[in-house]
Amino acid sequence: MSEGLIASDAALDAEQREILEPLVDTIVPASEDGRMPSVRECDFPGFLARNAPDFLPELTGILADFDSGFTTQPARLRYERVKAFSERTPESFNRLLAQVYGCYYQDERVLAAIGLGAGAPFPRGNTLEPGDLSLLDPVLKNPGTWRRHVT
Amino acid sequence: MPVSANDPVDVLIVGAGASGAAVAWSLAETRMHIVCMEQGDWANPAEYPTNYPDWEQRLQGENSIDPNVRGRPSDYPVNNDDSPISVVNFNGVGGGTVMYAAHFPRLHPSDFRVRTLDGVADDWPVNYDRLEPYFAENDRMMGVSGLAGDPSYPPKQPPLPPLPLGRFGETLAGGFNRLGWHWWPSDSAIISRPYRGRDQCLNLGPCMSGCAQGAKSSTDITYWPEALRSGVELRTRCRVREITLNEAGMADGVIYYDPDGEERHQRAEVVVLACNGVGTPRILLNSKSSQFPDGLANRSGMVGRNLMFHPVGFVQGLFEERLDSHKGPLGCSLLSNQFYETDPDRDFVRGYMMQGVRGGAGPWNTAMQGAASGRIPWGPGHHEAFRRHFDHTATIGVLCEDLPEAHNTVTLDPELADSDGIPAPKITYRLSGNTSRMLEHGLAHAREVMETAGAVEVVSVGPAREAGWHLLGTARMGRDPERSVVNPWGRSHDVRNLFIVDGSIFVTAGAVNPTSTIQALALYIADTMKKNLANLFD
Repeated sequence: MSEGLIASDAALDAEQREILEPLVDTIVPASEDGRMPSVRECDFPGFLARNAPDFLPELTGILADFDSGFTTQPARLRYERVKAFSERTPESFNRLLAQVYGCYYQDERVLAAIGLGAGAPFPRGNTLEPGDLSLLDPVLKNPGTWRRHVT
Repeated sequence: MPVSANDPVDVLIVGAGASGAAVAWSLAETRMHIVCMEQGDWANPAEYPTNYPDWEQRLQGENSIDPNVRGRPSDYPVNNDDSPISVVNFNGVGGGTVMYAAHFPRLHPSDFRVRTLDGVADDWPVNYDRLEPYFAENDRMMGVSGLAGDPSYPPKQPPLPPLPLGRFGETLAGGFNRLGWHWWPSDSAIISRPYRGRDQCLNLGPCMSGCAQGAKSSTDITYWPEALRSGVELRTRCRVREITLNEAGMADGVIYYDPDGEERHQRAEVVVLACNGVGTPRILLNSKSSQFPDGLANRSGMVGRNLMFHPVGFVQGLFEERLDSHKGPLGCSLLSNQFYETDPDRDFVRGYMMQGVRGGAGPWNTAMQGAASGRIPWGPGHHEAFRRHFDHTATIGVLCEDLPEAHNTVTLDPELADSDGIPAPKITYRLSGNTSRMLEHGLAHAREVMETAGAVEVVSVGPAREAGWHLLGTARMGRDPERSVVNPWGRSHDVRNLFIVDGSIFVTAGAVNPTSTIQALALYIADTMKKNLANLFD
């Protein structure tokens, strides 16, 4: 278990922390090509503490649905367990998903991997290609039948 | 509760949004004592979501475009239970322009003549030519970017060059071109170059949560600074409950709640309503008296009737190449007027606009929407599906003309009320058969554009529910007092010192985002008032 996970998660006990890590890793695993990290590398408990402390009680309830055997199961079986949970309690799972994705898609490594800058959009901004206005040539050659001179 | 009388003012404007700001600025040169009351407060750009790494999550909740979700103290609830389209708005200085997409096309000349041309609804008592100088003046005041030469309009010259098309725009343009259909870079109330002390667009993306850069032309940063410098007084967090009358049947002021929640009476020589097509009938219907038992200025029975939205559908295409579609102004790139006008070969009258909408969604929204639709799973396969979708989508919005129908209404809800106890508006609305057929046609043809442009997958939805941006027609203008609420220059037929300047006076809706036309009308009405000051009430 990562040090970051333990250090930033005082609200969860040791057993809950052990379950949380494979649970969120099952939702967003690392990519096979190694370009995308897993959620466990993004300090999910720290994210929750900073951004969504109100979600911790619900998270505790979700973790209670998974016994300690979950942590030692192969990835395929863990996926089946999480999938069953998502189908049994879709609203709760969607709230968990929102937090997991919220953490993951604010992580600098993840953003860099998908071609985005880190942090707030403003004032960084984005650069856009101006676009080729000669594409309008066919439009200008076809004046159409608009009733533009109606008065 | 005792009502305390304030000193009378010359002109009292209710609402500091698109039209209220324009009227205040225009009337300021008269040096009259002008007061504007706004139920909300100034927006703080430093609090807009794009200032924060979790900007996508911040678009929910208190930054939602839906007042029922946002639930700020300045908001009033809206009962949308009897409508397939729900009202979205913003209550504060700048009004809806703070959260609009800033797509800024004008109504077309034909929109003012639908009875004459197509035998439906009514002609307007003003026309495009009459409004053209005010369109141009408004473009200069707001700061509008665009490209002259659009063959679907009379000549016009936006003051700033167009916003970038980007790969997204070029891709859609290719689709329109291969079909031989019209398209043109959109007129946009977003500045593409530094303009009047504001810096240009940074292509942040989510314009509808407020523009941290100040490039989007909301009236809190365009009209209002100039109006205030010219002496207009703007009172925020003042919520108007009703307009009061004197014995002669003239408006003599308003009853409002001040920032401390105290009920007060502000006297005025002239009252101008600028509260949008829901807020304005709400106040009028709540202003009942022995002279107007059915609501103020409502002898015609037209107050609150003929509510028009622009029913909207969306078609999204997935492309193999990256489109940079998360970058740039969400709703401002290009539009098509190919199907704007009536064609007798179709099974509907009037028409629709197609509006390019960039992907808009950042990574979190992409993942969440993908999970909801099943297109981007969580677990194994997430990364591959995410890579296929993020920044690879383009959307076309199909914005349909809604015709006025008396049974589509804004009324007062008998139970729901705002935090001051003022009855909330209740929306009763049905999508007409004409609009349904039009929307179906639009979705099919937008799909054709996507497929021709190279989309590998296409999905469509419509009508979208959270799409009641455009609130029109509920106090319409006209020459006949039996069939309209205000005259051709915005003055109430029934109360000669009461003016209405917002979208509620639209006779028909056209099929474009209405803010440009709302503001041109407001400037026209203000100008007419100035020209008739000596005999304003005759």
